[in-house]
Amino acid sequence: MADVSIDHKSILATHIAKRIGRRTLLQGMGAGLLATTVGGFLPGKASAQQAGHIKIAAVKHIDTLDPHFTFFLAAVQIINNIHNGLLKVAYDGEAVSFEPDLAETWDIEDDRTHLFKLRPDVMFHDGTPCDAEAVKFSLLRVKEGTPASPHAWKLELLEEIEIVDPLTIRLRFTQPYAFLPVALTGSTGRAGTIVSPAAVEKYGADYGRNPVGTGPFKFVSWRENDSIELEANPDYFEPGLPKLARASFMLIDEPTTAVAALVSGQVQGMNDCPMQLVQQLKNVPNVTLYGEIEGNYSYVGMNTTRAPFDDVNLRRAVAFAIDRDALMKQAYFGLAQQAYTPISPPMTGYFDPDIATSGRGHFFDLEKAKEYRALAANQDEIEVTYLMAERGPVGTRVAQVIAPMLAEIGIKVKLELLESATWVQRMKDRDFDMLDFDWVADLDPDETLFPEFKTGGSWNYWGWSDPEFDRLCTEAQVVLDVPERAGLYHAAEDILMDSAPVAMLAHLPIYKAFTNNVQGFEYIPADLLNLHTVSLG
Amino acid sequence: MLAHIGQKVAQTFAVLLIVSFASFALLKLAPGDPVVLMLGSEFSQETYDDMRAQLGLDQPFLAQYVQWLGDFVTGHWGTSYVGRADIYTYVVHEALPVTLTLTAASIFLALLIGVPLGVISAVRKDGVLDTVVAAGALTLTAFPSFFLGILLIWFLAVRFGLFPVMGFVPPWQDFAAGMWHLALPALTLSTFFIGMIVRVTRAAMIEVMEQPYIASARARGEPQWRVVWVHGMRNIMMPLVTTVGLQLGGILQGAVLTETVFSLPGLGQMLTNAVLGREYVLVQAGVMLTALMFIFVNLLVDLSYPFLDPRLRTR
Repeated sequence: MADVSIDHKSILATHIAKRIGRRTLLQGMGAGLLATTVGGFLPGKASAQQAGHIKIAAVKHIDTLDPHFTFFLAAVQIINNIHNGLLKVAYDGEAVSFEPDLAETWDIEDDRTHLFKLRPDVMFHDGTPCDAEAVKFSLLRVKEGTPASPHAWKLELLEEIEIVDPLTIRLRFTQPYAFLPVALTGSTGRAGTIVSPAAVEKYGADYGRNPVGTGPFKFVSWRENDSIELEANPDYFEPGLPKLARASFMLIDEPTTAVAALVSGQVQGMNDCPMQLVQQLKNVPNVTLYGEIEGNYSYVGMNTTRAPFDDVNLRRAVAFAIDRDALMKQAYFGLAQQAYTPISPPMTGYFDPDIATSGRGHFFDLEKAKEYRALAANQDEIEVTYLMAERGPVGTRVAQVIAPMLAEIGIKVKLELLESATWVQRMKDRDFDMLDFDWVADLDPDETLFPEFKTGGSWNYWGWSDPEFDRLCTEAQVVLDVPERAGLYHAAEDILMDSAPVAMLAHLPIYKAFTNNVQGFEYIPADLLNLHTVSLG
Repeated sequence: MLAHIGQKVAQTFAVLLIVSFASFALLKLAPGDPVVLMLGSEFSQETYDDMRAQLGLDQPFLAQYVQWLGDFVTGHWGTSYVGRADIYTYVVHEALPVTLTLTAASIFLALLIGVPLGVISAVRKDGVLDTVVAAGALTLTAFPSFFLGILLIWFLAVRFGLFPVMGFVPPWQDFAAGMWHLALPALTLSTFFIGMIVRVTRAAMIEVMEQPYIASARARGEPQWRVVWVHGMRNIMMPLVTTVGLQLGGILQGAVLTETVFSLPGLGQMLTNAVLGREYVLVQAGVMLTALMFIFVNLLVDLSYPFLDPRLRTR
């Protein structure tokens, strides 16, 4: 290519900024990004006195505190208080952004090369230094460690890690990798989280029970079904933080009990509030709820590999036969937002704010549903098996609300209530006709669409395949211009929606609750529960 | 006596072996895959295969059982699949004491409330008090314990703030706080048991009251309280102790619900989560311990008979 005047940096910077709905922060790219404040130049000692002991009810499953091996956001919430990443997720009340965390500056040298300058004098909780070697160690642990990290794919394109000096590290990728910030900070498991090499050496596979990071809190203990205890790291690098002396995550299985404990003041926070308890908590004067629509979507999936849902017209009929208004009220307690297509509202630049009137995607139109039903090969009453389990945000409610709606188009739904593990097994084995599911997506249209609908994908439980959809998504991965990329994803979505392996339902809010004496909580709509700035009044 | 104990111990081992195989087989027969559950919804086939091999779950069923049995007997209980908790510490040092404390407190509470009520209704047989107690006992036995637990939480803990909502404080570390935390769960767990104790006590006491030795005591002019609480009590001990022993299974069952509602980190909650997560090795440890407790208590009941009834003592 002769045209050397292409400014990769600015294209990529703009691209990254737009794609995650970001603004000014990344625009001074050439000069490098300044970490938070001048605090970056000061010795990383906490000046404030830490005080107070917060207890937070953790009602969702926590698998491990090893950031490179966890699969659950409830674990990431705690991991994030113990560790730091190269980058972190920030939120200004309107949009999510990715900022340097352990990095003092983040420079994009060209479209394939990222340069990180690290904060000086940062120590792990075990007293070892957090330097370029530690960063390299952590990234390699994700990329090619043994046992293999399930998040290795996020760094698959990482070609070379160069240690420029003890505090400078350069990452080279095999191709332009705009997904990097999302890959480093992405929701389930954080590939860019830096762990103490000495601790990994010492604990091996048991690192997840003995995590050692650089974060505002040190890990103290984990008693099964009881609590996970953290204490303040007085040497934390952000000045004046943390404010709390101790934090306990109380492991409570029964959300009703957690709500009772919150209302009575026995705990001061709840890491997740199931939808059926939201209204109850809204009525409690001494409790504040945090919750917005996050990057996710729910749907009814249909098994396209066998009758009756191998018939596209029958699937289309289902997609238009579901009364979304009734569903939002009866299944989602009036708290969710109707989903027309998978791309969710926080994905600025890709989410169409006028989608409700655009005619795209799925919505309730019984006439249309009946027209498609009339085109179906089987005109008799069709009996289908709908698997449901007490799992997900609203349990079996979606199934129970939808079943009678499908009777309107001559589909007799046989609801089968399963225990969770069995449900998962049957889904994986494609031993079902219908089931409802929700997909928690990183704030990126590729991660939203491609992994679970690409031909033969691990998460394509529906057995759906469309070469044109695959082609559009693959093409969009390397297109940098946001409107053009959005156009490709919208075209892919339209193919998906028209073929309807799934019927879209809702985008869901995720709630956290605190008693009013908890101050300074910074809500981030990526299901994080950072206690850095939290204090008890 | 020693031979008797020896025989019982041998039986115990046989029972444990059968129980361990049965529970292992049942869990394996149940659909569901621990690897799928621990990996959540987003994982690839390679990750799945790696994890399965790491956990030894790719081995044939019998090989897995034999491997487990060998490890268990030699004291290598291993770690849980997901959280990598040390199973021995978790089950024996953390979960077991919680359940033992809760169970003991519930039985104590049930006896404390149930026996006097049973005795009183036996003495006032067919009176108003007897009818009221009988109705109350029936209601308590029929009341779902998890629902009662939630009611107690919302009224006594949240509304009036008299007790904590949840949590466990070891009474051997802080007795007052321990009892305070234990009050609602122990009450919840003991309710169905109270009803049972009342009825057993009443029936036994009515029968005892018709025995010649009671008439003889009365004839000697012994006061009523002495007739009932000394002569009567001594003779209802056997059915009472037998009931407690036999109902231990019921109590452990109730402990599962009670521990979940009050978020107590005991065996019940551990077993529930382990079964739901198909943590085979953890379930095995829990089942073995529960079976052992059951057998041990039955052995104690057996051994206590000669002390409770002189006629059973061997000469």
